[in-house]
Amino acid sequence: MADANTPQKKEDTKKRPKRQPNKNYALKKRVPLKPVDGDNVIYITKKTNFKAQLDKCCDLLTRGEKEIILHGLGAAIQRCCNLALQLEILFSGTCQIEVNTGTVDCVDDLEPLTDELDFNSQVRCSSSIHIRIFRTAMLGANQ
Amino acid sequence: MEETEAKEFDASIGGTEHLPFSANSLRFASSRSVEIAAMTESILRPSKSKLIFQTLPVHMRRRVMSHNCKRLPRRLRRGHLEQLKKSGLPPKQKRPSRKYRRRPANLLEEYNRRQRQHIWLETHIWHAKRFHMTERWEHRLPYAPCDKAFRACYRGSSAHCLLQDISYYTPIQITGTVAKIKEVFAKITSCMCGLSIGAMAYINGTRQGTVHIYGVNTFPFGYVGKVEFIWVPSDSINKTLWLFVHPSQASIIQSVLTDASCLQDDNDYEVANKKRKVDSVTGGIEIKVMQRFNRFRLTGPNSHAILAESLKCISEDLIKNSKWTSLHKPKDLIEKNEYWESISTAKSPAQLPSHMVVGLVVIDPRLRRPRHRTKAKQNTDTEINTDTLLKIPPYLSNSPLWDMRIHESIKKELMTNGQFVKHITKNNLVPGAVDEDDPALQCIPVVLVQRPGSQNSEFKKLGYGSGWDIIIPSGYALPFWLTFIMFGARSGGLRETESLAFEMGECQFPPDSNAGQENENRIESEMRDRYFKLPPSKRVNYNKIAINSPFRCPWNILLSDWSDDKTNEFFVLRNKTMLNDIQDSITQKKHIPNIENASMCLVPVYIKITAKGSLQRHALICLPEESDLVNVKTLFEPHHEDPNEKTRKLKRKEHIKSLKKIKKKTYKLKKKLQQEKKPMYAKKLRKIHRQEPSEYVKTMRELWLSSQIETVRKVGAREVMGYVVQGAFSFTEARSCGVGYIAYNALKHLLDTGINQVLVRNPTSRKYRLANIVIIRNT
Repeated sequence: MADANTPQKKEDTKKRPKRQPNKNYALKKRVPLKPVDGDNVIYITKKTNFKAQLDKCCDLLTRGEKEIILHGLGAAIQRCCNLALQLEILFSGTCQIEVNTGTVDCVDDLEPLTDELDFNSQVRCSSSIHIRIFRTAMLGANQ
Repeated sequence: MEETEAKEFDASIGGTEHLPFSANSLRFASSRSVEIAAMTESILRPSKSKLIFQTLPVHMRRRVMSHNCKRLPRRLRRGHLEQLKKSGLPPKQKRPSRKYRRRPANLLEEYNRRQRQHIWLETHIWHAKRFHMTERWEHRLPYAPCDKAFRACYRGSSAHCLLQDISYYTPIQITGTVAKIKEVFAKITSCMCGLSIGAMAYINGTRQGTVHIYGVNTFPFGYVGKVEFIWVPSDSINKTLWLFVHPSQASIIQSVLTDASCLQDDNDYEVANKKRKVDSVTGGIEIKVMQRFNRFRLTGPNSHAILAESLKCISEDLIKNSKWTSLHKPKDLIEKNEYWESISTAKSPAQLPSHMVVGLVVIDPRLRRPRHRTKAKQNTDTEINTDTLLKIPPYLSNSPLWDMRIHESIKKELMTNGQFVKHITKNNLVPGAVDEDDPALQCIPVVLVQRPGSQNSEFKKLGYGSGWDIIIPSGYALPFWLTFIMFGARSGGLRETESLAFEMGECQFPPDSNAGQENENRIESEMRDRYFKLPPSKRVNYNKIAINSPFRCPWNILLSDWSDDKTNEFFVLRNKTMLNDIQDSITQKKHIPNIENASMCLVPVYIKITAKGSLQRHALICLPEESDLVNVKTLFEPHHEDPNEKTRKLKRKEHIKSLKKIKKKTYKLKKKLQQEKKPMYAKKLRKIHRQEPSEYVKTMRELWLSSQIETVRKVGAREVMGYVVQGAFSFTEARSCGVGYIAYNALKHLLDTGINQVLVRNPTSRKYRLANIVIIRNT
């Protein structure tokens, strides 16, 4: 984020007084580390359409996948929970949910804005949620 | 029939048939053996109307597949031949003539002749078989793959791996003391546009940097281009710097560099005389244009897995087998190997330190090649340690590749493909098994450069466009290229470079540089030719929809329309703090800050259409009025009168008349000649082929599209603020987007009215659409 060095809005600083942007560096984000990849692993994002992700999960479950795993990071946690609950309603009685929470270390690059400084990096912890949805009974194919 | 249908079948519910309680599966199958045999037969020899090669997926189809069965996959050949026999075509291929078969000797000569005109890449022949080739920047370059793979290439760049050969970048070596080099670059760069070349962050050589180069002391005017540079890590006072320059800017950058270094000592008369020489030693620094390295660009998350699979570091005791190591001994092999192993489990190159430079010495990539084309995958449950990602170890970036002495030796010792196959078949006891520690093959120094891709999640998906650049000594392009391809990389050409830059929201060739102007000229002539090839009824009448320059963006006219005086020069804003401030004021709908030379300034913007609609090249960016934001749905450009329509019709009538007259004349002449019985050929009226279009065509074209434009701002119903230079549907944004430039004064005007959206209109349409603007900050 190149605009991290500019003075933030007043409300913003009120909410999160901890994070003071450094004048000498621009914060650039890297891709967070992902756990195991697979066909039945879905990473919930805030940008993707909610309905599309719900449909994807439904598709996987109806196709006969025994379990799917949803991962949500940071602000996407709430979405991830919503999605899992929606799925539980849709597959009423045939699915169960198992929830785990954790912390993911995100690495940020600190790009110098002046010639005298070297690149730097920092580790930022971000909360994460891992939801396992598994079938307890198989319904007919019409679900 | 009807009666039996009405009754039930089973005896238990009133039917006639008694069903057995159990079925013997063997008997069941054997009694149907005839049917099964018939089915397998029909699968093997289908009697469908479709031919076998037509059932193949598109990407597996080849030209003349129906004639030459060797283009088909082997398993389908038998069925295909069978079909050919049925249709009566002679299935047997004639053996090519001896002359034809002996061609390769001539072929090489022919190849060398062709290369004299345009430079070929080392992978040229591989590409020429699979790509549409174009001539660009004195090179013959692949444009787009022949299989229709536009989307596949996008998917490659976002989810798998896209591979491009960018060996056409010209390396320039600069040697000298750091202070001297800094002094030279201070004249041709500006600290406003980001870190300078001698910044602490780059000087130790662990990261690649980029600088914007301008003419000598002309900032902000006279932009030349963006240059990537790498410092060679060393402790001595004299340091070496490598610039990688795009070929469209290479010659200008050379002259700018020599100019800048000459200006240091103006009194030295002799040095000033040497100014134009390419390789020159001036003012204490040496500028050399070197022979090309091979440079491949891998984009996409899977590119890391592909590199991890195909590059294996050589061990210390095997290093002596290669001759070049006696000239330059590679250092820190064990530590580098350890580091490479430790980061090889990363899921994407975007997880690694940005712009990291890694110098490795690897075994011949042919030894690592899989037997079939397979997708490289991380075999991982092992989590990567975050500590390794935080810092770049200082030993990582040195590489013998930068030492030019070794390249001759590497090229000489290169084992050709034929020799390699011979060697492998002779020495392998177990066929198929490859000995990776083969001493006969030399090891190769390579340099990897990481590209971080998008690092701003508000602008683009994090990590989009991330990947590796790999720099390889000359001669080794094809072995590496084929190994990457076999590990599942998808190859792309110039079209993919364009579309990648567009998706990333970058402008490849800014309009204030020479390269940009050349690019604009090329696009204009292509579009104009195409336009006038169409029959008049299929041409868009630009006069009627108030577009006066559909094939070119007239920046100078636009800027002078938005200021009081006429401007001949302009520049694109690259001042980082300024761009940030403007972006802030756009999001907060504030007034934007003042700058110097405001009347000659263009601001780069990324345009996202809010609702549906497509964007094309040269679309107009217009100033909305207060009421437009609400009823944009009904906002159309009104119909305009075409003042030239009648004149065109009149001209055409006259022209047809004159043509008829000429025809009559020639007919009469012919008759006369025939009567006099003179031989026809004596006075055969030959048609004259002109290179230039005739006077009539020229005037007609002028009437279609006037080349003299006075104003662009107030032509249509809404005032024009700027133009879109590249517009299309963006897959990353899932909507139409564009890269464009807006006159600074126009943007100021827009924000003074308190609106932060703009209207856009395609040059072929009357419809105005609403769009959001984001300032492009990574130009």
